[in-house]
Amino acid sequence: MFSNNRTGWLLLSPTILILILVGLVPFFYVLYVGFFKWNPLAVDPSMQFEGFGYNYRQLIFDEVFLSSIWRSIRFAVVTLFFELSLGFLLALSLLSSFPLKSFFRGVHTLPLVIAPIVVGSIFKLFTVQGLGPLPHFLKDFFGYTLNYGLNADQAFWMIVIMDIWHWTPFVTLTLLAGLSALPQDPYESAKIDGANNFQIFIYITIPMMVPVLIVVIFIRLMDSLKIVDEVWMLTGGGPGYATRFTGIHIWKEVFEKRFYGFGSAMSILYLYITIVICWLLYSVMVSRGKSEN
Amino acid sequence: MKKLFIAIVASIFSFSAMAGGHAEWWKKAGAPYAGTVLQGVAENTPPGQFAGEVLAKQFEELTGIKVQLENTSWDSMYDKAIKDMEANSGIYDFVYIEQDIVYDYLNRDFLVNITEGLANNPDLQAPGVSLDDFTTFIDYFKDGSGDVFGVPMEAFIKVYLYRKDLFEAADAKAAFRAQYGYGLSPATSFDQYRDNAEFFTHYCADNGMECWGTTVQGHTGHPASTYEFLESIGPSFGLYNWGVNMDTYQSCVENGGQLNGGRAKAALNFWTQLLPFAPPEALQSTWSEVGASFAAGRAAQGWVYGENAAWIATDAEKSAVVGNVGVMLPPTAPGVMTQAAAGNGYIGYFDGGAYGIPHSSKNIEATMLWLQFIAQNEVQADWAIAGGRITHKATYADPKVMAVDEQADGYFTLMRDTGFLYAGAPPFPFHGAGRAAIDPFIYKALAGEMTPEAALDGACEALDKVMGDLGYQG
Repeated sequence: MFSNNRTGWLLLSPTILILILVGLVPFFYVLYVGFFKWNPLAVDPSMQFEGFGYNYRQLIFDEVFLSSIWRSIRFAVVTLFFELSLGFLLALSLLSSFPLKSFFRGVHTLPLVIAPIVVGSIFKLFTVQGLGPLPHFLKDFFGYTLNYGLNADQAFWMIVIMDIWHWTPFVTLTLLAGLSALPQDPYESAKIDGANNFQIFIYITIPMMVPVLIVVIFIRLMDSLKIVDEVWMLTGGGPGYATRFTGIHIWKEVFEKRFYGFGSAMSILYLYITIVICWLLYSVMVSRGKSEN
Repeated sequence: MKKLFIAIVASIFSFSAMAGGHAEWWKKAGAPYAGTVLQGVAENTPPGQFAGEVLAKQFEELTGIKVQLENTSWDSMYDKAIKDMEANSGIYDFVYIEQDIVYDYLNRDFLVNITEGLANNPDLQAPGVSLDDFTTFIDYFKDGSGDVFGVPMEAFIKVYLYRKDLFEAADAKAAFRAQYGYGLSPATSFDQYRDNAEFFTHYCADNGMECWGTTVQGHTGHPASTYEFLESIGPSFGLYNWGVNMDTYQSCVENGGQLNGGRAKAALNFWTQLLPFAPPEALQSTWSEVGASFAAGRAAQGWVYGENAAWIATDAEKSAVVGNVGVMLPPTAPGVMTQAAAGNGYIGYFDGGAYGIPHSSKNIEATMLWLQFIAQNEVQADWAIAGGRITHKATYADPKVMAVDEQADGYFTLMRDTGFLYAGAPPFPFHGAGRAAIDPFIYKALAGEMTPEAALDGACEALDKVMGDLGYQG
């Protein structure tokens, strides 16, 4: 037994070592730096300890940071809602047979394999005022002016649309896998009992899909809260602060302004907020699942 | 056989020419480093492309030292270079140093002292290469004692470009005079600039042309817009050094600065009011897009970076306005030109950059050779033609350059004769942090979320806070 355990640990050790090196060490370093006032561009470029709460106290009163968190949460909730709804609908559609199903599934999955920065580029080329085809099309056929360099709402929703386009296929595929693996007995029983399709979906499909939904929601929620690349490419966080999500804000504080200590504190606080949001969501979903069972 | 012979002879002459007649010396000097691969990172500009695609190959053929130059976007270039130098990882043997970041790099001791390095290694000193051959632009890359930390590879002035064909069209002239009561001509004042912009926006629309009255480098999520304001529009109104009081490091008027002063507010008002007359892509345009828009014939006039001026005027493969480009100094407010001529101000941005060697480079000596190779007088003319840049005094008189100058409506001559009216960025070690503090307010002014007055009041407060936090206010 001991021998087996030792072999197991031995086999696991490279993974554990890598996790420590690329996960824990940087995390603790960022945590450490977050307690210092540190900017290499300052007159005194050294790390100065001003008390454990120095950067965190400043953060609590930093309106731009707080509004970026609110913006990120709003973005995550909106995209999650649309991606889940659309993804579920598409997954259900893909369960049934229709002409060119394989082709559609292949095309539908394509955005998934594209790097976020490339997705940003594609959308930029497609939507940039004056040169992209979409603004021309919207103007010519609907009289609608798309200029997200000027309009903050348009900028926000353009990012939402881009994220939905990019990540709905992931939701579809994951839910499709879950749907395909559901047992058929409950469905047959429900049909014998005279339940209609809507009732079957609400009372059988959704409850049985809860574990898969939890996984999808968590992955997408965490990804949405971390969004940077696509936004960086499309709007750069503008106009003004309209699309300055927390990831972009942290980047600007750390790499443009070089406030390393302050930026590290921001990262830690944002990580904490993300964990709390996920934990709350998890608790609600699990307790609801238990009560339904 | 005859063709082969001609090719060999041409190659020998070409080698000889690019090596300044010292091919043997380069071969010998490069021999100990043959097979070394030098990694560089730079902004993707026409001069950078020439360095990476032409000069690097010539250097490799001559010395056996390979140069891999990663020409990337401005943001990415800084990101990669600074991370490498901060981490001391030694990925890059040479990095692009834009004029405005050099004070930051020197302050943080990122760069190798090239003057000292060459003095300590006489064997590495290339014959026929002298740092004295450079224009005064090299002064930006010197420390207090006059030692050089970067070898200039591009230098430009930001000029006023206009479409000669539009300004000389008879119907346009007549319509302009009828509407405004004076003759149509390239702008020498801001009122005239605005009138021109308004007129051509309507003129183009009336004539079914896809063009507008002016360029505006107004990206609402990229620092390019802040730079256009601080380095071009602001100075032409008399706003110097970002409005920062250089003694107290305060920028608000109430603290002795000028960033929210009358000149700054007039400048921002003027600039934002040009937006209705700019191409629709203006609010998503950085310097690259402005160049591309002008080259595509989408603007009648505008402030355009010099790195784009030459190719816009001469490269028919990339530009739709070849032969129709006029080049002038931009309009200035009363008194600004006098102040600039006296050395008490400037009318715009003397842009450019150099290649420097990070301390973390593992191939400092081989990189010294590369930097001297690109510093030779012999390689400058072709580089100037390809990239619209001049860093050496002698290049202006080269017949090839003079021919292009003629095609480009005297851009090079303008740079030679009026370069002294321009200035690089102010010597702020906190350059990036300060600019990033101002950015959101400029974006909001451009997007109409804030009035120019409120935006500048907010910008100066934010900038003062950054300078205070960084300890510059005493």
